[in-house]
Formats: sequence, C-alpha cells, structure tokens
Amino acid sequence: MSRLYLESQEESGKLWNSGNVWYMSDPLDALEKSIGTLRRAIRDAAAAGDTERAGELRMQLRRAERAWDALVDAGEPAAAPPPTVPEAAPAARGSQLPAREHVHRALMLLGAPAAPKLIVGVHEAFFPGELSASKLSSLRRDEERSYRSSPGARPYYLCPALAHDLLTPVRALITISTWTLEQRVIGPLSPRVDFLTSAIGIAEAVHTAAESTADGPSPEALRLLWRFAVNIPDAMPRNAAGHEGALDAQQVIGAAQAELDVHTDADRATRAEAARQARKSLGDDEQLFGAPLRGVTHLRSARA
Amino acid sequence: MKKTVDDRLAALRGSAKRLDYNARSLAALENNPRCTLRALLDASGSDKTAIATHVGHPPSFGQSSFAITRGNAFEAMVKDNGCAELLRVLRETLHLTLPEVGYEDLNDVGGDGRSKERHERTEEVLLRAARGEGDGTLFDHPMLRLLIGGHKAYLEPDLVALRIDGRFHIVEIKSFPIIDEQADSTQVRAATTQACAYIIALRDLLGRAGIGEQAVSDTIVLVAPKDFTNRPTGAFVDARKQVAALTRQLSRIERIGDLVDLLPEDLTFDLAPDAEDRPRRPAEELTEALDRVLVTYRPDCLNHCEMAFYCRSRARAEASLDVLGPVVREQFGGIDTTTMVMGLARGELTPSEDQVEMAAALRHAARLRAELEDLGGAA
Repeated sequence: MSRLYLESQEESGKLWNSGNVWYMSDPLDALEKSIGTLRRAIRDAAAAGDTERAGELRMQLRRAERAWDALVDAGEPAAAPPPTVPEAAPAARGSQLPAREHVHRALMLLGAPAAPKLIVGVHEAFFPGELSASKLSSLRRDEERSYRSSPGARPYYLCPALAHDLLTPVRALITISTWTLEQRVIGPLSPRVDFLTSAIGIAEAVHTAAESTADGPSPEALRLLWRFAVNIPDAMPRNAAGHEGALDAQQVIGAAQAELDVHTDADRATRAEAARQARKSLGDDEQLFGAPLRGVTHLRSARA
Repeated sequence: MKKTVDDRLAALRGSAKRLDYNARSLAALENNPRCTLRALLDASGSDKTAIATHVGHPPSFGQSSFAITRGNAFEAMVKDNGCAELLRVLRETLHLTLPEVGYEDLNDVGGDGRSKERHERTEEVLLRAARGEGDGTLFDHPMLRLLIGGHKAYLEPDLVALRIDGRFHIVEIKSFPIIDEQADSTQVRAATTQACAYIIALRDLLGRAGIGEQAVSDTIVLVAPKDFTNRPTGAFVDARKQVAALTRQLSRIERIGDLVDLLPEDLTFDLAPDAEDRPRRPAEELTEALDRVLVTYRPDCLNHCEMAFYCRSRARAEASLDVLGPVVREQFGGIDTTTMVMGLARGELTPSEDQVEMAAALRHAARLRAELEDLGGAA
C-alpha cells in the first residue's frame, strides 16, 4: 500500500516529501558532490580564461542548485542524518523504494554508466527489494517523458550515456543526470575505464559490508566481485600452489586502479573533448538524452 | 554478354525476390563447389527453402531457437561489461597489451541499423584504425560487404580485433565447447568457413583503400566455452586453406555463364506464387525442372544446404553411391550405384575392362563375408 503511495507521489513530481526523508540522502549527496565539482571546474575555466566553458558550467551549476533547493524545500533534511552506507537502510523500508531509486542507488555505488543487467546484479547483491530488467526499460522511457513535460522537476533523471562522436544516446548504458557530461560520454576506452571504476565501487562496497555488518557481504556480492576480479590482471589472489585463493577486496581495488592508471589520461581527453562539443552543439535536453537518432530524424521531419 | 547471363539467372529465379548471398551460402560454395544445382540456385538468388519445401523436402536444420538463444546469450556474456571476458581471452591468445582496450560499437549508427549506413560507418572506422589513428582495438559487429557476381552481400562478423602490430583478426564467438583444447571438428570447420568470407570481405574493404591483404590475418580467433563451464576461452584456427579455396570459388562465380549455357532455354525454378505467397506451380513440374540439373550430393550437405534432403532422396532413389559419402565413393572409382556394386560382387554382372580389378576385389570381399556368415551359423 505505502509503496503505491510513494510511486504515485513520485509520478506527480512531488517526491521527497513527508517522513520518508531517509531516502533522500543519495540524491542530495550526489547533488552536493556535483555542485562542488562544478564550482571547482568553473574556477579552473575562469583561471584559464575560457569564458565560454565557464558560462556553460555556470548554467549547469545553477541547474544543480535549483534541484538542490527543490529537494531541501520539499523535505526536512535537518531531521534526517542521511545514512552513508546503503546497507544501513532497513530492509523493510528499502524494499519499498520506487524502481528509479533502486537504479540510482546501484549507479551511485558503481560510479559509472552501466548496463541494465549490471544494475540489476548490483541491486541484488547489495540492496533489498525487487528490481527487474523489464522494469528498467519502461523506466527509461518514463524518465525522458517526465523531463520533457516539466524539465528540472525532479532532482535527477536516469538518462542514456552519449556516444563520443555522434553524441547520440547509447541506449544500452544508463547514467544519472547529475553526473557531469564527461562522466556520461562514452569514448572508445570508456567501456574498460567504466568496468574498472565499477570494479572498484563493488570492491569498496564488499569491503564496507565485511567491516560493518555481522554477516559480511552477501554471496551474491562476492560472486559479482569475483566476476569482475577474474577479468582484471593480478586481481585474483594466488596461493603457494598457484591456485586461485579467496577474494581480497583490497587487492581487487589495487589491481583495478593499476590498470585504470594506464587508460585514464587518454580516456579523459576524449571524454572532455566530446563533452565540450556536446555543450556547444546540443540543447539542455539533448545534453541529457542525446542528439536525435539518425535513423529517426527523417521520420520526424516527415511528420512535421 | 554479362547481361544475358543475368537475364538467364533472373529467369531461373522467376517472380520471386532476389536473395543475396549470406555467410551460409558462401560457406556452401566452399564446402561443395561441384554441385551445379546449388551453384545455380545461389547465383540466381532463388529461395532454396521455399523450393525444397514445395517439392516435399523441407529443410529441418538451422531452425533451433534454443541453439540461437544459447548462442546469443553466450555472445552477450562474452561482451558484457566492456567486453571484460573477451579482453581477458584476447590478452591470453593475441597478447593484447594493457592499453589495447578501445571498443567501437558498429551494431548501429546512432540508432540506424540499416546495412548500407552501417557499412559506410564500418569502412570509415576500420580504415582509420588500419592507418593507426584512434584508440580502436575491438570492433563489435562491423558490417562488411562483398561483391559476388556483381551483387552485394552484407556480412557481419561477431568481432574484429586489431593487434598493436597492425593486423586485423576475425574473432568468431561460438557456443559449442572446447573440451581439453579439442572442439567438434565439423563445427570448427563451419565456423572457419564462415570466418573466411569475413576475411575476404575485410581484405576487399582495405584493399580498396590501397592497404595490402597481409593487414588481415588468415588465422581466426575462436572464442568458445571452456570445458564444461560457461567461461570463454580462445583458440587460433588456421584458415589459410579455406580462404584460398573460397577465393578461388568466388572468382569462378563469374563463370556461372558457362553453366547456364548448358541448360535448356525454358528452364525455371519459379514457384509462381499467388497473392498470398502460396506456390501455384505443380510440385511435379518443379521436380522435373530440378531433375534436369546435375546435383552432387554429399552427406555433409545436410549441414549447410537447404536442398540437401531433396538431393538425398533423389540419390537414394537412384541407388547412388553418393549417399554413402565421398570416402566410400572414392573407393569405387568408375562405379556409380549400389546396384552395380552388388551385381559385380555377386558375379551377376560382367565387368567392363576398367572394372575388372574392382570386380575381383568385390568378389573377394563377398566371399570373405559369406565365409564369416557360415562360421557364425556353425557356432
């Protein structure tokens, strides 16, 4: 019953209400982090004399701040010391979250654009409640529709990643609108970079669970980490006999970071360039949901 | 001259829509090049499935939805999470270095999945990579194109990988297992033949930009489940011989005119379908038309040719040795049917001059068999 209530509230765009403040923590945290990043970027751009970029970033900052205001006004943030570890959320209430919250939480844990399958995997490994891949695909349509009917009414949107060259949506990958464009663009090296970033996110969550909960990480969480670790050089512990030993989250983080260092610079350059191009050539909505698909452009113009 | 051949081929096909060559009909080209019927049907773009069904021998292979689903699921698993599993396998086999992780998705062009657009994009991306520009190492589902007898055929390999020393490798992802480093040879052969067409098409694409054919390796990388697990492993398969064979067959397609010239003018495989696509042409008449063309049936045709069941029934009806496969057939040089083999063995037929030796061997074999039967009866 109360789940229905929450979802209908969310539909009307008035989320973050009443006593359910505990689940605002993630969007607020994300916004604050993003506001901080934007401010730093504006300072850098101003120092470098890039007024055009600074202007674009200011616009983004204002958008983020508006969302933050809306969020704080609607809820009662002071009453809710936001739980930082997702596991700390009581299972009973966690399962009542709307699906988009589940997705948001999983993406925040990963820290990178992810495919629906991985999002569902992370959700099952670390969070209570049900989330299915089919639910995810309908959710994605709703997000864009909701944005277009009243832009900025929600503190965040789930949107597709953008292809670095055509700036069209990469529909297989989901991101969060509060992330910077650089994070949401996918270049040739980005799939690997995002895989390693996700591996670190999962390893950290497993580590936190091992430290903070009595039962330690769930079997699903360990299996998920294993699936990542076996594909990262030197992430699997070897015992004296040369066989694979028990997983060590710290070792996975170290190994992933080592490979990440190889790719980061080149990947960041491509993404930054693409993001700049996107800010220059795309409107607000297109920066979130991508440039129009080529295959459908002629359909659209024919209809118009 | 060329035009008349095309006209003749169009007449063979009749009113149906032309079907282009695909990886499978190209593979058949390499597997059984001597079959005139298959050559004609493929070159004319006839619908072999519809024809075989109409004459009462519907093909019953290649349709397992379970196998297709399994294949797709395995491929998706291998390519999940930024090709994580695939990169591990390729780092082991191709020795990709750590920085070589660039991934280009060529499944569509900004949401456009049409073959022509995808081919143009593939061309652009692969040429850039061949010139050493960009970070591309893995190219997911590139759309290649091959001109066969003046007609375009689009081909789509699972993946093309580029090593840092600049050679492209075709990667085939298959869901049959490699157990103790051994895989089913028929399936490996089928996968290799398919990959050969990709190698030739990719060489053609690069060749048009003046890049030599050594840029594409003729060793393919087969990625398949390891032992009894679902985890992928990789293996090299040498495709040199098959590439050469297929190249030769492709160049011979141009000579399809020689085959067409041997046929009666009025021959056609037209099904004369009605408005609802139901064939109106009497099946007997169609069978008669098919019977006027030489077929070369081999048991392994069942693996790749839609007409195989028809050809087998025809070979059986004629008591042809073809049914027993090339190994048996080659033993009986100069003898075509089982009736003749039996007749010679029983001494009921008088052998011609070049059959004398064979007849002696057959009678010897028959005698041995009779002795064994007697022994068996006594025991």
